[in-house]
Parts: sequence; C-alpha cells; structure tokens
Amino acid sequence: MSQQPKKGTWTKCPQCGAHVNQLEWGQYEQCPHCGYYLRLSAVKRIEIVCDANSFEPTVKIPTSKNGLNIPGYSEKLVASQQKSGLNEAILAGQAEINQIPVMIGVMDSHFMMGTLNTIVGKVIREMYLIAARKQLPLVLFIASGGARMQEGIFSLLQMNTVLAAKRKFDQTEQVAISVLTDPTMGGVSASFAFKNDIVVAEKNAQIGFAGQRVIKATSTQPLPKEFQKAEDLLSHGLVDGVLDRQDMKTYLGTILKLHQRSK
Amino acid sequence: MLKQQLQQIRNQDRISSQAVLSYLFTDFIELHGDRVLGDDGTLTGGIAFLEGLPVTVLAVNRRTITLSKEIVNGGMVTVSGYKKAHRLIQAAQRFDRPVISLIDMPGADASVYSEQHGQSQAIADVIADMGELTSPNIAIFLGEGHSGGALAFANSNRILMLEQALFSVASPEAVSAIVTGDDLNQYLPMTASALAEVGLVDDIIKEDQNVLQNIKSALLRQLTPLQKEAGSELIELRQHKFLKVLDLF
Repeated sequence: MSQQPKKGTWTKCPQCGAHVNQLEWGQYEQCPHCGYYLRLSAVKRIEIVCDANSFEPTVKIPTSKNGLNIPGYSEKLVASQQKSGLNEAILAGQAEINQIPVMIGVMDSHFMMGTLNTIVGKVIREMYLIAARKQLPLVLFIASGGARMQEGIFSLLQMNTVLAAKRKFDQTEQVAISVLTDPTMGGVSASFAFKNDIVVAEKNAQIGFAGQRVIKATSTQPLPKEFQKAEDLLSHGLVDGVLDRQDMKTYLGTILKLHQRSK
Repeated sequence: MLKQQLQQIRNQDRISSQAVLSYLFTDFIELHGDRVLGDDGTLTGGIAFLEGLPVTVLAVNRRTITLSKEIVNGGMVTVSGYKKAHRLIQAAQRFDRPVISLIDMPGADASVYSEQHGQSQAIADVIADMGELTSPNIAIFLGEGHSGGALAFANSNRILMLEQALFSVASPEAVSAIVTGDDLNQYLPMTASALAEVGLVDDIIKEDQNVLQNIKSALLRQLTPLQKEAGSELIELRQHKFLKVLDLF
C-alpha cells in the first residue's frame, strides 16, 4: 500500500479549489492543477532568486512604532512579527544573482499585507541611496496592499520621499528593476513600483491603483474578466513582461547582464 | 465633528477652484488635453499671470456651479488628467514657471478605464515631476485632498490649507472600509491645524468673508521667498520639508 501523506499537510488551492499536498506545491509553491502561485514569503523569494547563501541583510530593518497611538496597532505589529518572522514588511540587503552583485529588497504580504509605512519607506529610500553610493543595480520585489492606514499621512509621504531618494539613484548608470507580485496596489503601485527602469509582473499577480471593491461601488458595469491581472496589464502596455516564477532568476540575470558596465 | 466638517467642505456652495482661479490670476490661458487619451475636465490646466509673474496652474474641479456633473467626476482626476498634468509640469520646468495647484478631491478616479490606461504610472509620474521641479511649487487645499491622487499635486515647496480643509492618506470613507472596527479616522492627523503642527502645512488660510483675498496674500507671502532660491536648492528644500515631517513621527 502506498504511503498516505499526513493529515494537515493538504492545502486548498485559492484559485481552483483542489486539495494539494504540501509536497506537490514544490519549491515554487505552484498548484499542480491550475498553475496558481501561492504568495511567497520574503525569505523563500530570496532563496528562489538569489545565488545560494549570497544574501546579506545589510539594510537594517528597525521595529515600527505606534506613533499615532492607534488602539490595537502595537498588538498587530507583534502578531505580524511572530507570524512572518520579520521585523517589518520588507527584507533588504546585498546579494548575487548569477554572480552579479545587486541591492535587493523583497516585500512580504504576510506582514500586514506588505503595507507601506514609515519603516518600509525608510528601508526602500536607504536601498536606493546605498545602491547609488556602491554603484549597484537594484531589484525590488513588490508585494503590497498600498499605504498602511495606521500611520496615516506619514505612510502617504513615503510615496514622494522614496521617489526623491530614487532620483539620486537615477544619476548613476545602474538599472533598477521592479517585479510586481501579488498584490501590487494603491500607494505602492502609484509610486516607486512603476518608476523603475524595468517593470515586470509575476503571472497572475493582481496589480492596480484602486481596489476592485471601490471600483465596483462606483461603476454600473461588471468588471472585465482578468481585470487588474498581470496579463491584462501586459495587453494594455503597462508592464514590460509577465513571467513564470520558475523563469524569474534567469530573466533577472539576463537583464542585469545586459546592463553591466565595464568600470 | 469630522462628519460635519466633511459636509461643510463637500457642500456645493463651498468656494470652487474656478472662483479662486479667476480671482488669483489674470490672462489665464487654458491648455487642453494629454495628447493621447483625451482631455480630463476634472483638471483645469493652463498658464496665467500672478501679479505679473507667469505661472502654471493645475486646478481640480469638484463644484458644479459652472461645470457639469459629468465633467467634474466628483473631483476624481482620471488617468488623462494626470497625463495632462505631467505634460504641463514639464513645460513649467522648461520655462521656469512656478506651479500652483488648487486641490479639492476625495482621491483619484477609481474606474476600469483609468486602471487600464495606467493610473498608477500616471500618478507616480506627476509625484516625480513635482519633486524634480527647479521652479517653486505651491499647493492650496480648498476642500479635501486624499491619497496618492492628491499627493501628486501636493509634492511641493509649500502646502497651504483653508481652515476647514482636510488632507489624509485616504478618504475617511476608504480608511473606515480598509480598517474596520473602531473608527481609525479620529486618530489620524488630517486637519489643517494638525498638519501644521507636524510641519507639513505652512499656512492656514482663514475662511472669513475675505477668503479670496486671504488665499492671495498667503500665496504671495509663501511664494516670494522661494523665488530667490536656485533650482537645485528648491529640490533640496522640498525633500527636506517632507523628511523633516517624517522625522517627527
């Protein structure tokens, strides 16, 4: 008799509803039935994309404060830290992709839906400034529901201050690449996500400015099929390409190689 | 209290961008269209004189006294409006004209059309353009202005607000919809006085019977010192203004 996997190692695919065994999801965390990608943790993403053991978390990620004294926010931060094993919704540092050194930042949707707050914004500003100083190309994996409401206007001001830091990076001859993963929305989408030199999306990712609930509430028409999906953005000319997760490393490696400068 | 304030600033009788525009400027020439998609009537753009000084004007329309409901779209600027602004700010840069924006909007347009034509990219472009401007820029909040949609017009050297105006991360309705439970809005600094306290707002404009005159005096008072600064310095000062606010958090 064949061995049956243990109970509890089965997960329902959010897209097709099939029950998928832990082993079947594989290292790319893809549904074997419909091809759906689960949202990756920042750590897993780095494993898949960077050369083995090359990532050094050189950008310090401070712990967020509850500066506006919002009831429940401090607890939410602690719970997210425990759930994700991260200090905030991003990991950033230096790594190599196909032996090419890069500055890399990876947002993590498992930490308060990857929302942009004062710390996440500060980390991204630092990434641009360090990359500019060290003359490194920059890769940013986006996964964010938008600005974090609990830090109000201070979250909003990350949109322009990150773009101001990026301006310093743009004075170098290094390439900056955005990979839009599920989800890329709101204040993140309408700021640095779309302003890097190369903007590619992971297959199936939801990408947009306004949320679908809001659009539905103001419109009488039903939303089109595949609306705000990576493939829809590609057909409207809004992204440079749509990639399978499996091809991501090769793609990034090639883009980086094409932008290498002899010093 | 917030509810009353919202009612007041959303009232059709409230001072309109068009009224402010005609009071502040002379020889206004409207420049239409984004050159690709069309011409968004929610955003009036053009050039004019402010006391003899040529300036670029970006005015968000929300009131329906002189404009139709269809045109103003509730003050929600569409992708085409941001693309038009992008074009006009680049021209302002070329001709070294200050950019004056009049803000009165709940947020950017939320529609299938704007999304499929690059709303995110268009807003990001305007934020970056405003940040890189080597001429002074000043934003005036007449009513409310929320989210990245309003920030695009407010990434400026100075931010002025009418006493009752509001500026927040998202419209109060959106904030309550995103974070349910205890109403988060009561904790968020969004009024002119709260934002002046953190150094984001430079001038609060009194809403009395001389409100138009008050707007003009505040604008001139804030613009005059900026005109003496070099272009590169204006960029630095602008960045410094926002980073200083964040340091306070």
